[in-house]
Amino acid sequence: MFATKRLSKELLKMKDHVPPGIEIVKSDNLEEWQMDIKVLDENPLYQNQTYRLKFMFSSKYPIEPPEVQFITCDASTGHPRTIPMHPHIYSNGIICLDLLGSAGWSPVQTVESVCMSLQSMLTANNRDERPPGDQEFITHNRRRIRDINFVYEDDNV
Amino acid sequence: MNLQEFLAMEDNFDRDELIDLRGLDFVSDYDSHLMCPICHCPFVDPVRLQCDHVFCQSCLSSAINTFRSADSDEFPCPSCRTPTREVSTSVPRLLINMCDEIRDIGLDGKCMHVLRQCPRCEEDVMEQDYEEHDKELCPVLETSCVDCETVVSRKALKEHVEACPEVIVPCAAAKHACPVKVRRADIAMHEQSCPLVTMIPYFEVQNTRLNSLELSMRHLQQRNEIFEDGLANIRSTLVESARIGASAAPSGQSANNGRDQPSTRTETNTDDPTDISSSVFSSNATTYLLSLHESLREEVEQIKHNLTDLDARASMALMNECIRMKEDMAHTNAAVNSVRMQVQWLMNPRLHGTRTGAVRANTGNETPRSPMASSSTAGSSSTTAQPLGPLRPRRPSDSGREGTKL
Repeated sequence: MFATKRLSKELLKMKDHVPPGIEIVKSDNLEEWQMDIKVLDENPLYQNQTYRLKFMFSSKYPIEPPEVQFITCDASTGHPRTIPMHPHIYSNGIICLDLLGSAGWSPVQTVESVCMSLQSMLTANNRDERPPGDQEFITHNRRRIRDINFVYEDDNV
Repeated sequence: MNLQEFLAMEDNFDRDELIDLRGLDFVSDYDSHLMCPICHCPFVDPVRLQCDHVFCQSCLSSAINTFRSADSDEFPCPSCRTPTREVSTSVPRLLINMCDEIRDIGLDGKCMHVLRQCPRCEEDVMEQDYEEHDKELCPVLETSCVDCETVVSRKALKEHVEACPEVIVPCAAAKHACPVKVRRADIAMHEQSCPLVTMIPYFEVQNTRLNSLELSMRHLQQRNEIFEDGLANIRSTLVESARIGASAAPSGQSANNGRDQPSTRTETNTDDPTDISSSVFSSNATTYLLSLHESLREEVEQIKHNLTDLDARASMALMNECIRMKEDMAHTNAAVNSVRMQVQWLMNPRLHGTRTGAVRANTGNETPRSPMASSSTAGSSSTTAQPLGPLRPRRPSDSGREGTKL
């Protein structure tokens, strides 16, 4: 009840106005949304690219953080989407960002604010690399996003 | 107040509110500054933190419960992450007033469940159903009959349809294959001329007769089945008894089937080689076979009885024998045990004697003692062994072993 009410209010507001570079792709149910984000400045790593984000909301949202990850789309859908290159984004789309973990999350955050945080996280990056241990992580991780305990040690990006 | 007090207040808070203010759809737009950043609704029971951020009381308490580290009394403000200890329930009057104003507009709409009396039929109808009731369902509303176009009230429509002269009704003999269907006004005329209508009483009588006949036929069928079963039973017993009779007949006589056997018997009895009549023979044979069967059955019964008797007797005898044997065994066991104990008792001093000379002297004293010594002598022997303590240290099991010797 709490989550659906809050999400429908967020949706109403975003349908009215979304910040530049953010677009709602799918919001037909109040459990999973998909958003497209773009990096707007001249960062050569992400120029002219659009990335797709998947939000999964639990019934305790916004007290609990949503599960957010980048997803890929085939070119056959007309909107090919890839996973952005970033030292904190694994190649399966899982994002290591403190404000998406239960410790860094705040109920004041919204879908819009999360999208904007991710935009700025991409903008500020200039390293064309994956996190250390990426291959091992994506082959062995079977946990859900909310159950992964990341250590947020890198404050540079 | 500090966080503990705040959470306790939230727990004690009466949650039986009639309406959930967050569930309201507000008629007017409201300023986003009057909105709790957690639930995005206008503040409900607003509370304030030290950093001047305001939240609904229930939103803040659920956030505190989730984000407060287990044993500290600090909590980061959801908006600015300032560590916070104090929660203040005093928020500016202006804020509360502005929130209340939004709600006033919001509550202006009517409840759709309130009852409203229809002025025509005086029935209580819920607000949400009133419009439909007013336009279509009210029983006082007039409506026209689909067949005769007469205008009647909805209440009377059903009665009217029963009697409307324009309604198409089937002929009274429709059950008896009269295909005619005409308006109710014309049906009487048709029924006067319809030949099937005049036949109705006759048809009825025929129908009842048919029914009763069917019923009795079913009864008869059932009885027939029972009889057939009985016949089959009799036939099978006959065949069986014939077989027994054939096997019981002396092998010297030429008896190919059961019926021949008694006939030969009659031959021997009467010394008349010619058959008088086969039917007499056959009936005689049947009764003979049946009696033979009976007697055989009785014999079997008797043998069975004898057998069980014998069985019981045999098992009884066996049991008696067993008990005796068991007792004997117990006696033997006891005897063996006592012999073993005596041997042990005799061996004991000798074993000790081989160990030390002093003990040998002691065993020299003890050996002549009778092995059948009573428990009191055993006690005395243990007391006589007492002075030898320093030579042969007694073990706790010693006295016990001496006790078991006897």
